[in-house]
Amino acid sequence: MKKIVIILISLLILNSGFKIGVDTNSKMKAIFIMNFTKLIEWPASYREGNFIVGVIGDSPLYAELVKMAKTKKVANQPLEIKRFSTVNDISKCHIIFVSENKSQEINSVVKKVKPNSTLIITTKQGLVDKGSGINFIVKNNRQKFELNKQNVERYKLKVSSNLEALAFTVK
Amino acid sequence: MDKRIYILLIVSMLVNSAFGQFVGRDHLSVSLFYMQKTELDSAKKYIDLAVIDETLKTAAKTWYYRGYIYKDLYKKQDKNNKVSPVRLTSIESFRQMLTLEGKDEFKESTFKILKYEASTLYNDAARMLNPEQYKLALGNYEVFRSTMLLINPNADLTTRDVKFKLALASMLNRPVKNSAGLDSAQTDQIKGLYMEILTLDTNNPAANYNLAILYYNEAADIINNMGYDVDIMRLNEIQDYCLEIFLIGLPYMKKSYELKYKRKETLTGLSNIYYGLNDMEKSKLYKKELESIEVEERYTLLKNKLKEIEEKGLKDSDQYRKYEAEIQKLEDKFKDLKKE
Repeated sequence: MKKIVIILISLLILNSGFKIGVDTNSKMKAIFIMNFTKLIEWPASYREGNFIVGVIGDSPLYAELVKMAKTKKVANQPLEIKRFSTVNDISKCHIIFVSENKSQEINSVVKKVKPNSTLIITTKQGLVDKGSGINFIVKNNRQKFELNKQNVERYKLKVSSNLEALAFTVK
Repeated sequence: MDKRIYILLIVSMLVNSAFGQFVGRDHLSVSLFYMQKTELDSAKKYIDLAVIDETLKTAAKTWYYRGYIYKDLYKKQDKNNKVSPVRLTSIESFRQMLTLEGKDEFKESTFKILKYEASTLYNDAARMLNPEQYKLALGNYEVFRSTMLLINPNADLTTRDVKFKLALASMLNRPVKNSAGLDSAQTDQIKGLYMEILTLDTNNPAANYNLAILYYNEAADIINNMGYDVDIMRLNEIQDYCLEIFLIGLPYMKKSYELKYKRKETLTGLSNIYYGLNDMEKSKLYKKELESIEVEERYTLLKNKLKEIEEKGLKDSDQYRKYEAEIQKLEDKFKDLKKE
């Protein structure tokens, strides 16, 4: 009888575990970014070599992008993910993702990438009016994005009409 | 010649003493004769004949003894068989007996035996709670249940049902721990079990907690397995679907929180579900609560260690200073967390 009690108790104390290593939000954002690379056209000079996505600040998205880069390419360009600690560290890249903890430095980021054809992606309400081309927002618990076409095209990037149609708001 | 006659007489007497006693006796009596001699196979042979005998099959006594003999057979010959058909025949015989006139005489003894048989069924069901035999375990449990209700039709088996279903669900849920994963049919089966438990006991903490995790894992799995090439239209559809699943799981995890079940794991659960729902504010809130608990736990642990070191008179040791410094840091962190 003792043995039975032990069997039952040992089964009763077993609980399900959470799936480890699943960052649902970052995965969504990474897929959005992959889509942006297809729906935005970079100038010819940017269509060779590595396709560089920079991440400034601390964001779990960095790890997800690194994971994505292991298997994905942008057209024929291998994906390369770079992490920058400060605005000054930012080098030429196709996309720069500004982490939430660096959001207040958006103006410096805009200045820094000005000479390049860089798509600025942010993740804080209002930044689409402060120089960001695409800003991730959450609406009704869903991950969406706002598009500021002018802020994108300012850097000689072409926005596909499909992207406009898919954006939550277009400015 | 005389000698031969004597021998014939002796042989004849011996034969008569062995078989003569059965002359004119019915199958039940013969069976009982063998039962008393603990010749159970013969007893079984005759009791099986008795229950199909037109004159005996309506007697409670016949069925009672069939149940009794089969119980003895189970005990002596089939006890290691977790799905013993002999035990089932015994129970079925008692069940039949209880429908007949004259049952009262045997009731007390029958219930005692049935209780014993029910306990063996329950134990065997528990022993068979493994991926290979759980269906047999379920069968045993059902017989256990019906046997208990035979003894007392008003018996409340809720606690037992909940315990067994929880154990079964936990066992079936084990592949998650081995990271082998569950297919959707398995997940649905486990969810069904937890739902059954919650129907019996709405406030069952383990069922609430585990059900929430199943839903969370289901949605997280879908997101995790998505290819990076999914287009935005499809991504939005998947998002909608996953949000629904997260939202189904949320009330169960909230209930687990209310019930103060597995405090730390539940807080992780709530934080994860809200993260899945893209509600970062709430996700952080629960994460902070979790941090506070962890800080408090570490604080208590270190305080105890300091006490131990003090008792040993080693207050000047490096270890003591190290713990003291960590305690100071924890106190600061705790203050920060409270402020936030």
